[in-house]
Amino acid sequence: MPDANKDIVLEINDIHKSFGDLEVLKGITMQVERGEVVAVIGPSGGGKSTLLRCATTLEKVDSGRIVIGGDVLCEKGSYCDRKLEKEIRSKFGLVFQNFNLFPHFSVKRNITEALIHVHKKSKEEADEICSRLLAKMDLKEKADEYPCNLSGGQQQRVSIARALATNPEIIFFDEPTSALDPELTKGVLTVIKELAKEKMTMVIVTHEMSFARDVADRIVFMDGGVIVEEGPAYELVTNPKQERTKSFLAGY
Amino acid sequence: MQALQSTLIQLAQGFKFTFGIFFFTLIFSIPLGLLVSRGRMSKIKIVSLIFQLYISVLRGTPLMLQLLLVYFGPYYIFGVNLGSIQVGPFNYRFIATIIAFSLNYAAYFAEIFRGGIQSMSKGQYEAATVLGFSKMQTYFKIILPQVVKRVLPSVSNEIITLVKDTSLAQVLSVTEMFTKASAAASAQVSVVPFIVAGAFYYAMNLIIETILNRVEKSMSYYS
Repeated sequence: MPDANKDIVLEINDIHKSFGDLEVLKGITMQVERGEVVAVIGPSGGGKSTLLRCATTLEKVDSGRIVIGGDVLCEKGSYCDRKLEKEIRSKFGLVFQNFNLFPHFSVKRNITEALIHVHKKSKEEADEICSRLLAKMDLKEKADEYPCNLSGGQQQRVSIARALATNPEIIFFDEPTSALDPELTKGVLTVIKELAKEKMTMVIVTHEMSFARDVADRIVFMDGGVIVEEGPAYELVTNPKQERTKSFLAGY
Repeated sequence: MQALQSTLIQLAQGFKFTFGIFFFTLIFSIPLGLLVSRGRMSKIKIVSLIFQLYISVLRGTPLMLQLLLVYFGPYYIFGVNLGSIQVGPFNYRFIATIIAFSLNYAAYFAEIFRGGIQSMSKGQYEAATVLGFSKMQTYFKIILPQVVKRVLPSVSNEIITLVKDTSLAQVLSVTEMFTKASAAASAQVSVVPFIVAGAFYYAMNLIIETILNRVEKSMSYYS
């Protein structure tokens, strides 16, 4: 049961998800407090990405409960109405592994389009938010460029700016650096570290173990559709309790 | 010299209809093609099958046959005489031509659009969804503009073919350019009218090609 004194931004309770006969999530329960950074690690096919996709409405769970920012997205597997779902979508941001920027929009329009046409902000307001975020991402002079003219690292930083633009309560990252070479990875990780310092609530699926250890408050290790082990980041990485966790981390 | 002059005048008169068939077919078949492609991609099996059959039949039978069927079908099959219908300056021959051409070209366009839409990555839809765009916004702001760029080369092909296909309207005695050229050729016992008609078709396609190239270039700012 959630502690009344805690400010819980994301609550996931016993969610199950199958694709055909394959059960990918076998009862996942986790909570994320405001300002907390949680890294989700584990082998491929362990259910990390599916967990993230369920939390971000891209997949529907079969059973269980998901609450985001106090709004109940689903309860016992049955979902809220569309209107509330839309509202919930404005409470989180998602950063994809392969960016998924809109290639026909300039960097600026990638960031402002949803502000103007979904959140009904004025053009001036949206432009201001955009230039503030681009400055933060060290991409000030790229506002009028198109994504195809940017490096992968720059594109990913634009997509982080896009996710931040609507001022979400929580941001999900789905392996944000997996498509980048080590050089470009650094810039993206620096930006995420900055956000962590600012107490942005984040859930990060990642294979960057040292990054997870340094930035996350808590690490969740998933394998075989269940949470095998979770705990304070440094402790879990340096002193894992479960055999499965140990053998996974030994590979890094 | 006089013969050439009268040929030019006659062909120019015919060209009005040629251009009319071309223009109206594009106006109707492109939106219709979009609808058919949506139907073809429907998740409801029976809907998808119906549109699949539509595309298959319209692409699999001669356009000339379809022209004759649209024109004579209502009378021969249902006994309805539409021959006297007149919409503005257009008689039923012309209207039947536009209907048959639009139905036929919609089938081709539908498959081109389907290819374009299905080539879009799932990630574009997902990014739009989590940003809160509605289905309509996603389609018109995110997907369609990118699809237009992708399908333009194939659509250009169809547009150029259409210019030449307009000559099939001859079977319904629509007085388009090819009908006129045939008449002039047999009256003059000469191939000159055919050559002049060929020049007309080519000139029209050259202009179209130039325009389409410009449009393509205007969308090359991203890849």
